[in-house]
Amino acid sequence: MSEFCGRTRRQFIWETGAGFTGVALAGMLDSTFFEQSAKADGTAKFSNPLAPKKPHFEPKAKSVIFLYMYGGPSQIDTFDYKPTMYGRDNQSIAIKTFGRGGHKNVGRIVEPRWKFKQYGKCGKYVSDLFPNLAKQVDDIAFIHSMTADSPIHGSAMLQMNSGKILSGSPSMGSWVNYGLGTVNQNLPGYVVMLDPRGGPISGAKNWSSGYMPASYQATVFGGGKTPILDLSRPEGLTDPAQKDLLNTLRDYNADHEALHTDNSNLAARIASYELAYKMQSAAPEATDLAKETEATREMYGLNDKKTETFGRQCLMARRLVERGVRFIQVYSGGSHVDSTWDAHNDLKTNHDLHAGETDKPIAALLQDLKQRGLLDSTLIVWGGEFGRQPTAEYAEGTGRDHNAYGFTMWMAGGGVKGGVSVGQTDELGSAAVEDPFKVKNLHATMLHLMGCDPNRLSYFYGGLNQKLVGVEQTQPIHQILA
Amino acid sequence: MFKLHLTRLFLPLSLTALLPIALGLTTAQTPSPLSQAEKLKFYTTKVAPVLKANCLVCHSDPKEPSGGLLLTKRDAILKGGVTGPAVLLNNVDKSLLVEVIRYQGRMMPPSGKMPQASIDTLVEWVKMGLPMPGPKAGEAEPVHHGPPPVNAETKKFWSFLPIKRPAVPILAKTKTLKAQPKNPIDAFILAKLAKAKLSPAPLANKVALLRRATYDLTGLPPTPKEVASFLNDKSPTAYEKVVDRLLASPHYGEKWARHWMDLVRYAETNSFERDDPKPFAWKYRDYLIRSFNSDKPYSQFLTEQLAGDELPKPTPETIIATGYYRLGQWDDEPADPEQARYDELDDVVATTGQVFLGLTVNCARCHDHKIDPIPQKDYYRMVAIFQGTTRFGRPVDKNSLRVIAPAEDQKKYAAELAVYRGKLNELKEELSSVEKKAFADFTPVEKEEFKGEMNRLPLIKKRVGTLVSAAEFETYETKTREQDTLKNAPPKGLETALSITESGKVPPASHIMLRGNPHSPGDEVTPGFPSVLSPPEPTIPVLSAETNSSGRRLALANWLVSPQNPLTARVMANRLWQYHFGRGIVRSSSNFGFMGNLPTHPELLDYLATELVRNNWKLKPLHRQIMLSEAYRRSSQTDTLALKKDPENDFMWRYDMRRLSAEEVRDSILAANGSLNPTLFGPSVYPKIEAEVLAGQSIPGYGWKTSLPEDQARRSVYVHIKRSLVLPILASFDAADADFTCPVRFVTTQPTQALSTLNSVFINEQARIFAKATAYDAGNDPDAQVKSVLWRVLQREPSQKEIMRGVDYLARTQKKFGVSKQESLRRFCLIALNLNEFVYLE
Repeated sequence: MSEFCGRTRRQFIWETGAGFTGVALAGMLDSTFFEQSAKADGTAKFSNPLAPKKPHFEPKAKSVIFLYMYGGPSQIDTFDYKPTMYGRDNQSIAIKTFGRGGHKNVGRIVEPRWKFKQYGKCGKYVSDLFPNLAKQVDDIAFIHSMTADSPIHGSAMLQMNSGKILSGSPSMGSWVNYGLGTVNQNLPGYVVMLDPRGGPISGAKNWSSGYMPASYQATVFGGGKTPILDLSRPEGLTDPAQKDLLNTLRDYNADHEALHTDNSNLAARIASYELAYKMQSAAPEATDLAKETEATREMYGLNDKKTETFGRQCLMARRLVERGVRFIQVYSGGSHVDSTWDAHNDLKTNHDLHAGETDKPIAALLQDLKQRGLLDSTLIVWGGEFGRQPTAEYAEGTGRDHNAYGFTMWMAGGGVKGGVSVGQTDELGSAAVEDPFKVKNLHATMLHLMGCDPNRLSYFYGGLNQKLVGVEQTQPIHQILA
Repeated sequence: MFKLHLTRLFLPLSLTALLPIALGLTTAQTPSPLSQAEKLKFYTTKVAPVLKANCLVCHSDPKEPSGGLLLTKRDAILKGGVTGPAVLLNNVDKSLLVEVIRYQGRMMPPSGKMPQASIDTLVEWVKMGLPMPGPKAGEAEPVHHGPPPVNAETKKFWSFLPIKRPAVPILAKTKTLKAQPKNPIDAFILAKLAKAKLSPAPLANKVALLRRATYDLTGLPPTPKEVASFLNDKSPTAYEKVVDRLLASPHYGEKWARHWMDLVRYAETNSFERDDPKPFAWKYRDYLIRSFNSDKPYSQFLTEQLAGDELPKPTPETIIATGYYRLGQWDDEPADPEQARYDELDDVVATTGQVFLGLTVNCARCHDHKIDPIPQKDYYRMVAIFQGTTRFGRPVDKNSLRVIAPAEDQKKYAAELAVYRGKLNELKEELSSVEKKAFADFTPVEKEEFKGEMNRLPLIKKRVGTLVSAAEFETYETKTREQDTLKNAPPKGLETALSITESGKVPPASHIMLRGNPHSPGDEVTPGFPSVLSPPEPTIPVLSAETNSSGRRLALANWLVSPQNPLTARVMANRLWQYHFGRGIVRSSSNFGFMGNLPTHPELLDYLATELVRNNWKLKPLHRQIMLSEAYRRSSQTDTLALKKDPENDFMWRYDMRRLSAEEVRDSILAANGSLNPTLFGPSVYPKIEAEVLAGQSIPGYGWKTSLPEDQARRSVYVHIKRSLVLPILASFDAADADFTCPVRFVTTQPTQALSTLNSVFINEQARIFAKATAYDAGNDPDAQVKSVLWRVLQREPSQKEIMRGVDYLARTQKKFGVSKQESLRRFCLIALNLNEFVYLE
């Protein structure tokens, strides 16, 4: 494979008079580079891009469920307890903020609108927004010192999902599937579930495979019997009739393939029809909740209108994890402003709504995974593209503007310590002051737990070994690793 | 070989590294009572643990230490990283290392300030003069390799050397080769094959060849008439005539414009939250089609795109061409505007470098290129070429839109516009008289909402009966509608183009940005070209007084097409080859640097490059020569021996099969059932997209207005390209992702493709039209129907076995599943549209 014009690539580099780097080059000439350059012409041997691959080291987590709180939840109203903020409502203070309203140097405090109580053995303070989830704090690692490069939804979402504030780079799920493949070929390896109120800003860019092949992009799972686009047979076509149709197609294609046996792409395309057929039954089976017990349905909140949608999605996420899906992202919030966590108007109404819809289902997901022994191998990530300011956006009201200087995310399961909190914001909850972490540290943590070295998992594109965490060495958040 | 080079190149470095002493002994600035041994002990026991715990995670990898700073060796610390020496032995407090650990300015480690005791230890160590043990005698020092320098040796890399016309090889006569090949391309290919003891595959059959040629030049299948005429033409020039006919087809421009659109990251929207459309982007696409069709010399084509506005006599055409610069992403609310500005410049440098030069100049943005001899300075000299260009928006019409209408139109328009604006202002005043009354009790959020025009009516309506009377609201509503109507019907605008503009004749100064950080300007640089190519200093042309532009881009274009440039012609000739053979002579067609693939046929590449220039940079003669070669006309059939020896077909012993591109797949489906609308040019069209897909948008359906049915059947090159919403069938068959330049498309095979071509509304509707057309053509006879369907997808006579299989299918489906004749035929059409032979060219 590494023969080019009868020479190895390393020889060619040396022989062309460019003897500049032996060591650096050896690292870059990994097998993926050859595969890519040869495969891109469509004629080289087919190899399934999603076949399971060996991780760099023994993984803690096999799957990730990223619960994406789109719009940006307020940290001081959820998990970042700031006792001194109470009683300071409407106080004018000097504070540097940066949101959609631009840079400001003063602000009017909006004190947290919910009370905090201590929970669990660890005694973590959690706000009244999450009475159910609060009971699971001993399984959760809170990161209170997250920072992002942008306080604007568009670019910040791209960064949370792909590491870059520009579009065009692969999203996290694409990286995970590229690095590890997937174990269940009858289901997509990377699934996104959207809020029925709408998609996120930038739509499909958030789950795109960017400069990687389309094989690594996410498949959007909707609700209902046909979770995937074009999954169901057209009306009127019965299962036996479709089988007959596919058999006839296969017979034609087999005759053609017999003349070109050396072109494995033809065989692969024949096989892809079989796989598609299997997916037609595997995917609905995976998302069919009929066989779940009443207790489970109740636990996830399927019997309550408020929690039904997100509960259904969390339960589907668990079922997908059980079936080997690598990366699942579930959006809480869709479309714009108050249909998301983007509380510019009335903080209370907004967060009561979104926390109310998700608290019970998320608690159930953690509990359910745990009782099934799956929490150890499933990494749960919770958070949005940024947090919110401790001060008001306008002269009146409780709306909070975006805040990328400091916000809270949490992780649980798959190799994460429970009952810990790392990093701190200042006394207002405005900016990270202790152990500030960047989005890339979060990504590094996720890859690390999946058994991939974040600084080694690379994809050669545009003259560069691209990485999810960027070119600079990036550390996972060691403090939360079990 | 490996060792030899190491010795030769790194001898001086290795020698110094072998000196087993710590230089701290002699250069320590602070007198210290400690002996050298004690100092080293201080290092080992106190300093090393602090470094290890806090710093070495990022600063110990000799290959790629973070920030270029290696903290494991004394000389490396003194040399420092990209921000300069880490330690100044004569100024401890001003040493970068000391400053950053004290969190003065930059903060290290980034995860949090170290305990004071650790900081004190490191400062003490610096004061001691940085004592560190050197490597022991005889112990080999790992050699630290820097980026390749620009020097006589690296300048000798094949693609950096001038293009020389190679002699056409003379082949030895054999049993099969009686005369020298007529086409020099074949001489080059056969010579290599002979040397490798490989024999070429026989020539392809006529249908395979016609399909191949027709798709390659037009992106469409041949029509039945074209097939018949070619099969019946027994003259020796039959094929030549086909090639000439195809090169003259208007669809040639459509197909080859699409290739170019991949390269220039063509999209019609900006990405990010709004993903707004780019006005008149489609005119650039039409410009491409016209340029290819008229066989515009590539030198001119390139110059128009890079500097069409800086030419002595710009025309509407050359202004439209500069839309090239406006096709990238545009963040209309960047968190860091300066960063965004440099990201935009990077987009232009990256695209221009890769597309025209085949160099990844963009890799030198933050530091010297790690692989190629492209210093960071060269990157910023290239940035300087574009430094005067305005940004895409703020506002778009001022920066990116130019009127290209003739002067008399402009006069007439100005008068119309004055009247129009007067009317609008009148309306605005009338509306605002009502709005002022309503404002009184607006909440802050409502004030925000009021900024959006579409929100105003409901906001005013809310206040009917309180602040606003019913009559006033009625007037308000009427006037609002009038305003909407008026706004939707402005005086027929002057012909306008999306284009580049500059801010003036003298662009702002350009600087090297340290670490690529736009907030850390370093040395000033002047415009220039990659130094490894030994270019002349740019000759910036003096532009006419009325041209508000620096002329730097024209200087770039002039150099690119100058005879001294070793890359431009090679890169383009190689692309031509790639789009005919599925792979370039250099497979990495946008990377001719050290990390790129070597040319499999370097002499052939240079031959083609010189041919391109000799033909006055016209592409059609080169297409012709390539397509008339035997190399192109060879069969794709396999040969066990050759396959074993050369599985990747590096020697081009056969023609590689290729799958149709995404656009070709969709266009062929429409062509097969006869519904393809062949209209050329114009604003983009919007085929219907399923609601499930639109549901992924934050406002489902936003920015996608479904076109009339006949427009939905236009060729794919005319489909609107919205960055955040791609037509599913195109996305599924690996259309180019428009965020970055795309030199080679992926060819993936995945079950979701099969789902789409089996179950989608689109494919089932196309199958229905197909069945209807078949019944019309072939009547009721199943035999004739099957034959007709297969013919339309394969362009060949189906075998008896293939016909029988289809006829059986029709009968069986009707009988077993109780469906109508028409439905069974529709299902058979669906099968036909899924055949491998339909989407693969032999």
